[in-house]
Amino acid sequence: MFNDLDPILHSQLRLAVMSLLISVKEAEFTFLKEKTNSTAGNLSVQIQKLKEAGYIEVIKQFKDNYPQTICKIAPAGILAFEDYVKNLQAYLTQPK
Amino acid sequence: MEQEKKLTEQESLSLITMMINKAKESYHDTGIGAIMWGAVIAICSLVRLSEVQFGYRLPFDIYLLTLVAIIPQILITIKEKKERKIKTYDDPYLDYIWLGFGICIFLLIHISNNIFGDSGSWADEYKNITGKPASFRFGEYVAPLFLMLYGLPTFITGAACKFKPMLWGGIFCWTCCIITIYTTIRIDLLLTAASAMFAWLVPGVIMEKEYRLYKKEQALLDV
Repeated sequence: MFNDLDPILHSQLRLAVMSLLISVKEAEFTFLKEKTNSTAGNLSVQIQKLKEAGYIEVIKQFKDNYPQTICKIAPAGILAFEDYVKNLQAYLTQPK
Repeated sequence: MEQEKKLTEQESLSLITMMINKAKESYHDTGIGAIMWGAVIAICSLVRLSEVQFGYRLPFDIYLLTLVAIIPQILITIKEKKERKIKTYDDPYLDYIWLGFGICIFLLIHISNNIFGDSGSWADEYKNITGKPASFRFGEYVAPLFLMLYGLPTFITGAACKFKPMLWGGIFCWTCCIITIYTTIRIDLLLTAASAMFAWLVPGVIMEKEYRLYKKEQALLDV
């Protein structure tokens, strides 16, 4: 019996964002955009979904008079990501 | 990247691996701080060596250059922190290790200057009584203490950042530390200069080269 993969994470862009954020303490929006090769609008929508799920924290502030968005993974996000990888491994190791 | 593309399990795993690797590769130190400190310490040691060797004295203590170097270091740190788009979990620990190292170095200078001053009067007294110069000169035993300290943050940074030139630089400092216990002040100064070059200058140049390469790649990707 396999657990269903978390639908919030089982999407290309959201999973990419979570994988980047799990590796660092915090990252700027521009960094995520650059590494995922996504558009700003698309990335904003997906970040909002992750935030609503409680998986990430989004901090909006000003840096040198320019708006800056910083994202960091939340404790619930770490747990969800670990579960997702565990379930993924279970799917991949099942006998065919 | 498409927003709602459903992934197969294998694709998900590949994506996770790819993104984690991208995040790991995205932090590059500019290496400027390491180059500067490597050069400053090497210059100070070599100038002091020439003073000892050729018997002249500069009108100022050459090691004051290390105090002057603190100003550009602060500016470099502020600039690098401003430019960085990510913060890693190691950052605060490494910052504190290097700050602690700086404090220890200045404490050691203060301690050695005090003991040095005292030992001078002992040596004079010894010479007055025996008519022979004292065989123990504290100045010859200071270098191992500095080299021991140089090795510590260098080794930790090399290990934490998985940057082998710095890791080996730290080990080189400790090797020189052992050697300098048994050598004269001239060799001590030469080995201190060599340690500064191997621990900071050379790794700094490698870091700077890698950073420039990374920036070039990023510029090509942006086009």
